[in-house]
Amino acid sequence: MLLAVLAMASSLATALGIVSFSMEKRVAEEVRKYGANLVIIPETARITVGSGGLNFGEISEPAYLEQRRVEEVLAHSGLKAEESFHLRCPLRFRNGDIVAEGVDFVEIRRLFPWWQINGAWPTAGEVVMGSDLAARYGLKTGEMVELAGPDQTVHLRISGTIATGGEEDGLLFLSLPELQQVSGLGGRLSTVRLLVTTEGENLRQKAATLQAHFPGAKVSEVRQIARTSEGLLAKVKLLMVLVTAVVLISAGSSVTGTMSTTVLERSREIGLMKAMGGTRWGVLLIFSAEAALLGLLGGVAGYLLGIAIAQFITKTVFAASSGFSPWFAAVSVGVSLFLALLGSLGPMISVFKLDPVRSLRGE
Amino acid sequence: MAANIIETGGLTRSYGDICALKPLDLLVAEGEWLSVMGHSGSGKSTLLNIMGGLDRPSAGSLRVGTEDLLALTEDGLARFRREYVGIIFQQHHLVPYLSAVENVMLAQYFHSVPDEAEARSALERVGLGHRLQNRPGELSGGEQQRVCIARAIINSPKLLLGDEPTGNLDHKSTLMVMELLKELRAEERFTVIMVTHNQEVAAWGDRTIYLDDGVLVREERNK
Amino acid sequence: MVLAYKLIPHLLAWAGIMLVLVRGFAGRRKFAAIAGSIGFAAGAAGTLVLLQTLKGDTPFAVIKILLGGGFLFFLVISVVALYRSSERSASAPAGRRERLANSGICAVSAASVSGIAAGAVCACCFTGFQNIFALSLFLAAAAAIMAILILVMENLLPKAFVVSPSGLAAAVSALLLFSSSSLPRLDLFAPLTMKVMKFTHDFVHQFFESMLIPDHMFFTSATWNFIGLLFGNGVGFWGGLFIWFAPMVLVIAALAFEQIPPVAHIRQGAQRRKLMAAAVRARRLRLIVPMCAAIISGGAVYESNFPSVEYWDPKPLIVSANPAGEIIIPRKGEVDLEDGNLHKFLYKQGGKEARFFILMPPSGELTVDLDACAICKPDGYGQAEGTVICYYCKTLIPLETVGKPGGCNPVPMPFTVKGDGVHIDGVSLINTWSSTVQSTARIKGGGK
Repeated sequence: MLLAVLAMASSLATALGIVSFSMEKRVAEEVRKYGANLVIIPETARITVGSGGLNFGEISEPAYLEQRRVEEVLAHSGLKAEESFHLRCPLRFRNGDIVAEGVDFVEIRRLFPWWQINGAWPTAGEVVMGSDLAARYGLKTGEMVELAGPDQTVHLRISGTIATGGEEDGLLFLSLPELQQVSGLGGRLSTVRLLVTTEGENLRQKAATLQAHFPGAKVSEVRQIARTSEGLLAKVKLLMVLVTAVVLISAGSSVTGTMSTTVLERSREIGLMKAMGGTRWGVLLIFSAEAALLGLLGGVAGYLLGIAIAQFITKTVFAASSGFSPWFAAVSVGVSLFLALLGSLGPMISVFKLDPVRSLRGE
Repeated sequence: MAANIIETGGLTRSYGDICALKPLDLLVAEGEWLSVMGHSGSGKSTLLNIMGGLDRPSAGSLRVGTEDLLALTEDGLARFRREYVGIIFQQHHLVPYLSAVENVMLAQYFHSVPDEAEARSALERVGLGHRLQNRPGELSGGEQQRVCIARAIINSPKLLLGDEPTGNLDHKSTLMVMELLKELRAEERFTVIMVTHNQEVAAWGDRTIYLDDGVLVREERNK
Repeated sequence: MVLAYKLIPHLLAWAGIMLVLVRGFAGRRKFAAIAGSIGFAAGAAGTLVLLQTLKGDTPFAVIKILLGGGFLFFLVISVVALYRSSERSASAPAGRRERLANSGICAVSAASVSGIAAGAVCACCFTGFQNIFALSLFLAAAAAIMAILILVMENLLPKAFVVSPSGLAAAVSALLLFSSSSLPRLDLFAPLTMKVMKFTHDFVHQFFESMLIPDHMFFTSATWNFIGLLFGNGVGFWGGLFIWFAPMVLVIAALAFEQIPPVAHIRQGAQRRKLMAAAVRARRLRLIVPMCAAIISGGAVYESNFPSVEYWDPKPLIVSANPAGEIIIPRKGEVDLEDGNLHKFLYKQGGKEARFFILMPPSGELTVDLDACAICKPDGYGQAEGTVICYYCKTLIPLETVGKPGGCNPVPMPFTVKGDGVHIDGVSLINTWSSTVQSTARIKGGGK
C-alpha cells in the first residue's frame, strides 16, 4: 500500500518533469519552424513583406541598409541569432524586368527550412528560380539565363526551382555578392531577417534595443503562432505543478501515517530486538533501511509510471511524443526516497526511544 | 564455594510514586538455578528486567559477573545483554514472518555474525531439527518455547532469564521445557533465574525466593 | 591575497597527506611529521630555484616526471598488494602492518618523498615570483604549521579510521595528483588522455595499413562513422580513466578480499563468531581510506577537465579585406598586437569565414595562426600563464612554439609586416581554413 502511494507520488513528479522538459524543447523547435522572428526594413522602402500573393511592390524609391553597419551592430549587440541578408532589385531579362533577390543560401537553409528545391541548391554561378517565374518564361532546370544590371550582364545556370506557395515563387534567387556586383549595389541590403532565440517579452526588448541602432530602419516582430504553443505549455505546467504538489503532500502524510502504524504493530518486535542486545542505532538502521528500500522501489515504479503518464499527456495535448530521458529516473527515485525518509522521521524517532520493557510486558 | 555471579546492594526501582522494588540485597551463586515467586505486582518481573540489563534501577548497586551495570551506558547495556544474557518470555515473542532458523539467526545477527549451521545445530539440540523452516505460527506452544530457548542460548550467555516461560504451556510441554533447561544447564553451566507463580515449576530450582510488594519476604532451599 | 587563495587546495592536500602518514606510521608519528615538513620545505625551495634557473616548460616537466614516477610506484604497490592478499596465511598481513607502522626508516623515507613532491607542486603555483627566499620560508612555515595541527588533531580522530600500507600509498598518490591537477601545467590526466588517444589512433592506423585496407572501400559510411568514434575524444578519456583508476581499484580489491584469520578452531560458537565479526569489521574499516582516495582521484580528473584557470579568449574582431584582397591590421590600433596576449579575428568572405589570431610570443616576433589545428576539431584556443591551450584536446602549447607547425599547434599563416601593420592574404586565409577544417572533419568520421 505504502509502495503504491510512493510510486504514485514519484510518478507524478517524474511526469511533470518529463513533460515540461521535453515540451520546452519541442516548442523551441516549433518556434524555429516558423522562421524568422525579427525583420529589419529600411524605413522609406515601400516593399511589402510577406503576406502571400505575388507582389513586386512599389519599388519606386528603393532604400537600402548598409551591410557593414548591420554586421557591426549585430556583432556588438550580443544577440544570439541566425541571420539572413536579402537584397532585392530588378534585373533585365529578355526585354523585361524580373525581381531578383540576393541571398546567402546557407543562411536561407537555416532560416527557411521549409524551402523545397526542385533540383539542386545552387553553387557559384547558379540561381534558383521561383516556379511561377519559371513557368511564365518556360524555363527549366539546367538552362542558362542572361540577366542584365545597369552596367553588367551575367549568364547564370538555373540549378533548381522553388515552390513555396508564397512570394518566393515569383522571384529569382542568386547569391548576394553576385547580385550586389551585377546591380552595382555593393554593400547594400533591402531586408535583414533574424531568428533570435528568446521568446515573449524578451523579444520585444531585443527588438527595441536593435531599433535604437537603426534610426533609418524599422525592426519588427513577425510571428504570432508559436506564442499560443508557449502559452498552452505554461498552463499545462502550472496545472501539473499544482496537482503534483497536492499529491506529494498527501503522499507524505500518508507515509507518516503508515509508518506510525507499522511501528505500533511491530513494537513487540522492536522491543525484542533491543532485548536481544540490538543497539538503538542498530535497530533504527534496520527500520530506516526498510523505509529506504520502499522508497527506492516506489521510485522505480514511479519512473515507469511517470513515463507512461508523460507520454499520454504529450500525445493528447501536443500531439508529439516526449523524448526518452533516463535522468528522470534519478528524479523519481530521489523524490520517492525523500518522501519515504521524511515521512518516517517521526516514527523512527519513536523506534529509537522505545522502551523494550514496556513493549514486551505482554498484551 | 562458587563465586557469586550476581550481587545487588540496595537495589530499588520506582516509577513516579509507585515503588516496584524496595531496596533489595541479593546474592546469586554462579551456576545456580534461582526461582523467584510472588503474585503479580510483586516486582518479580521488574527484578528480572533489571538483572538482565533491560531496565535501569533507580538506586542501589548491581554487579553481574564483572560488569557494574549502573556504570554502563545505553549502548553498553546493549552489549551486556547480547553477550551475557538470554531471555525467555511467556509470550515467546518470536518474529512471525521469520522461520525458526531465522529467528535464531536474528540473535546471532545482533551479537556478531549470523551462522546458519550453528543455528541449525542449536535447534537440533532442542529437538526441533525437523521443524527448521517452519514459521512460529506453524509450531505448537511447546515447540515455540523451545525455539526461544535455542535463541536464548545461541550466544553462550552466562545468565539465562525466564519470565514465566511456561505460563502458556500445558503440563506436558511444561515438563519437556523444564527437562530441556535442566539438561542444557548441566552442559553449558549457565546461571538460571526463573520467575514463576507455579509452585511445581519453582521446585525445579536450587533456591526459591518470594517477593511481596517489592520486598523479599522468604527464601527457601529446595532439595 | 590571491596567492593564499591559490594555495588552499595544495595545503589541504598536504594536510591530508600528513594525516595518513601520521596515522599510518603510528609508532613513529613524530618522525613522519618532521621528515614530511622538511621534505616539503626542501621540495618547495628546490622547485623555486628550478623555476628561476630553467626557462620554459622544463621545470614542470621535471615535476611531472616525479609525479608520474610516484604514480607508477603506487601501481607496483597495488599489484603487489593484490598478489599478497590471496595469501593463505592470514596473520602475515597483520604482522606486516605492525612492522611497517613501527619502522622508522619507512616512515622517514615515505614522509620525506611525499613532502618533497607536495612542496614541489605547491611551489609551482608561484611562477614568476622573485623573492625565492621569502617565499620558501613562507611555504615551509605553512607546511610546518599544518603538520603540527595534524599531529594534534590526529589524536582526536576515532580509532576506526585505520590506515593500511596500501591505503597509505593510495591516499598519498591521490592527494598529490589532486593537488597537481589544479595547475594546468602540472596536470597529468590530460596528457594521459592525449597519449591514449594517439596510441589507439596510431595502432588502428597501422592495423588498417598492414591489412592493406584502402579508404572507404568495403564499409559504408555508417560503419566508418562508428569507427570514427574510436578516434574521438572518448577513447582517450575512458582509456585514461581506466589507467588512472586501475591501481586504486587493485588496492580496494586487495583489501576487500583479504582473508580473515581462521577461527574454526575455537569451540564455543559465540566466541568464534565474535572474533569473526571483529575481523570483518576491521577489514571493512581499512577500506575507508582507499575509497576516499578513489573519490579524490575522481576529483583530480574533474579538475583536469574543468580547470579553474581563466583562459584569455577575446571575442574575435571582424575584419575585412581591402579591394586588393589583403587584410591589414595595424600594430597598435584597436588592439595592441604586441602586448603578449593573443588577439582573435574573424574574416568573412563570400559566404566563407576564417578565424585567426595574432600573438607576440616571448621571442619577439609576431606570429599569425589559424584558430584551429591540423588534428583536432576547430574549437579554438585560449591563453593562460605562458601557454596556449587547444580547447578540444586540452593540449598545452608553450608560447615559444606557437607559430611552428605540427601536432596540435595552430596552423601558421604567412604574413608580412609593413609600415601600416600586418598584411595577410584574404583568399589564402580562407582556403587554408577551409582545407584544415575539412581535413579534420574527415578525420573524425573517416577513420584514416
